[in-house]
Amino acid sequence: MKLSYQSRIAASAFLMLLVIILIMSALWFPRTDRTVKVMDLMFVLDITQSMDVADVEYNGETITRLAWAKEYTKQTLQALPCGSHVGLAAFSESRSLVLINPVEICSSYNDLSQMLFKIDGSIAWALSSEVSKAVFGAIDQAKLMDPSPDLVFITDGHEAPPLHETLFPKYKKKLDGVSGVFVGVGGDNLLPIPKHKFDGTADGFWKQSEVLHEDVYASLRSESAEVRAARPRNEHLSSQKQSHLENLASMLNFDYVVSPTKSNAVINALENRVKTRDQVVDYDWAPWFASIALFLLVLLYLPFRLIRD
Amino acid sequence: MTLLGLQWASPMMLLLLPLLLLPWFTHNQDKTVAWSHFVPVDPLSNLIGLTFKTLASVVIASLILTLAGPYIPEQTIERVGNGAEVVILVDRSRSMDDPFSTRGKALAVNRTVGKGDSKRRLAKKYLMEFVDKRPDDRFGFVLFSDKALDLLPLTYNKDSIRATINASALGKGLSETNIAKAMIKAAEMYEKESYHGSRTVLLVSDGGQEFSAEDKKTIAELYKRETLTLYWIYMRSTTGLSIEEESDDDSWSKTPEKRLHKFFKSLDIPYRVFDIESVKSFSEAIDTIDKQQDQTLIVEEIIPRVTKTEPFFWLAMMTMLILVLAQFYTAWGVRKAHE
Repeated sequence: MKLSYQSRIAASAFLMLLVIILIMSALWFPRTDRTVKVMDLMFVLDITQSMDVADVEYNGETITRLAWAKEYTKQTLQALPCGSHVGLAAFSESRSLVLINPVEICSSYNDLSQMLFKIDGSIAWALSSEVSKAVFGAIDQAKLMDPSPDLVFITDGHEAPPLHETLFPKYKKKLDGVSGVFVGVGGDNLLPIPKHKFDGTADGFWKQSEVLHEDVYASLRSESAEVRAARPRNEHLSSQKQSHLENLASMLNFDYVVSPTKSNAVINALENRVKTRDQVVDYDWAPWFASIALFLLVLLYLPFRLIRD
Repeated sequence: MTLLGLQWASPMMLLLLPLLLLPWFTHNQDKTVAWSHFVPVDPLSNLIGLTFKTLASVVIASLILTLAGPYIPEQTIERVGNGAEVVILVDRSRSMDDPFSTRGKALAVNRTVGKGDSKRRLAKKYLMEFVDKRPDDRFGFVLFSDKALDLLPLTYNKDSIRATINASALGKGLSETNIAKAMIKAAEMYEKESYHGSRTVLLVSDGGQEFSAEDKKTIAELYKRETLTLYWIYMRSTTGLSIEEESDDDSWSKTPEKRLHKFFKSLDIPYRVFDIESVKSFSEAIDTIDKQQDQTLIVEEIIPRVTKTEPFFWLAMMTMLILVLAQFYTAWGVRKAHE
């Protein structure tokens, strides 16, 4: 492009005038209402003993499934927009114990993150781990709340005592709009489960002879001894039970995210699955004006000549 | 990160700061001169040129700084208020799922499991009322079954404590409870804190428990040392006799409730039991505590974060104004010269 010296000077004067107008707009342009989509969620963390298996990679370190679950929940809390409400629950035995009903995450972030930090296996009130029943219980409790939150259920899917392949419990009630996502945690390899005494001190690992390897009704069915003996006896070992979680997810119309690395994975899954509310926030346009003004100034002072004589 | 005494929301933007050097390298405004030695050296012109370059740098820097989102972080200030610090312990045992008992009435057989007028639901209702009445109080919450967890550390956030109390009324009770552990946990929550004012532990339960000698000793020491006040809201179970009532019936004076009451009385700390047998007496108990716990308290208040982009925009605008005027003057001069 060619311009005379005279018009170049005039052009840059007008460009600078434009910059001034942009800066004024940044100062005085009114904030406008904008809606963002927010969700009401209940995070249920599995605190049963299989969650103490350390087989999750995080930042180059191997950490326990529960430590990962807490870290992942924290990251998701940080990634959710203000106005979202989040509650916390812990799952042990066959129930999800709600610790805090959903609260607005930005104003209560401090309390939520401290509470999250406190959740661990030491509050477990029993040793069994009946995932399906706990999920159903969590849905029932979500339905009691107003508005009903959707669920994020973080678990390895390990059922103890084990369930029969076909005879597992079904959710017979209506879902009433409660939906959610399973976040699967844990590796594919079967690993020994750390054992804790009831007061929380470590006590080696669960031995093969110490756990049930069949569902509790196995002895009542007329199965031959061969069928029963042929069953694998490795319930003292734990991995992420993907097929079980897939079954649960499809039965409840939940989504299932396998070992996600970014908090976006679960947020995207939730956005497709659960109900969202519109929240009005006032939007500040100043950064846009400032960016354009800066861009114009850079063009103006660029050391190479875009415009020639 | 901190710079100029401010926090920055998007410090990565500061990486753009080298752009402020651009005016010092630009040639866009230069006039093509056949041989620069023809141009006489004019100190005043040089000075003006330097000034304009500096001003341009200032504008660019200010704009980048606004983009980096300067703010003063939320601050905690202390003010004097009226109220108390309250740690709430709610018994989650199964019996709390029962409705209130009334003396002489037949035992209500059907457990309501957290519905209707179960003791847990009533406790929730009145605790919520209590929380709402006390704007300056700082609340904490201990969740306990046979273990105790300081679930909600002392907080001024009313939403958090309300949501935690609400959650405590959900679902059915847990089978085992250990009141001693919960009481120790509650005292430990105060141990970590500096003294703000009246410190209260509010125990809501429908039964007593025999504490071990070791627990008794720990509790006695802790509660004395941390200068705690203990309120026990005792939601009477079906046995019926009042906790203060002396009775010849030996079996009653030996009940865990009675023994617990005796132990609490022996603690040498401010202690009061509220013997609740109806909804009405619960609400009266809450009112009494409300009146008693109205002493001076240091309240921490949070001032929300303040965005500080405005001064930088003003700086950018004023500086830019000088540059624009100068540029228009130049344009006018150049035009004159050409004419």
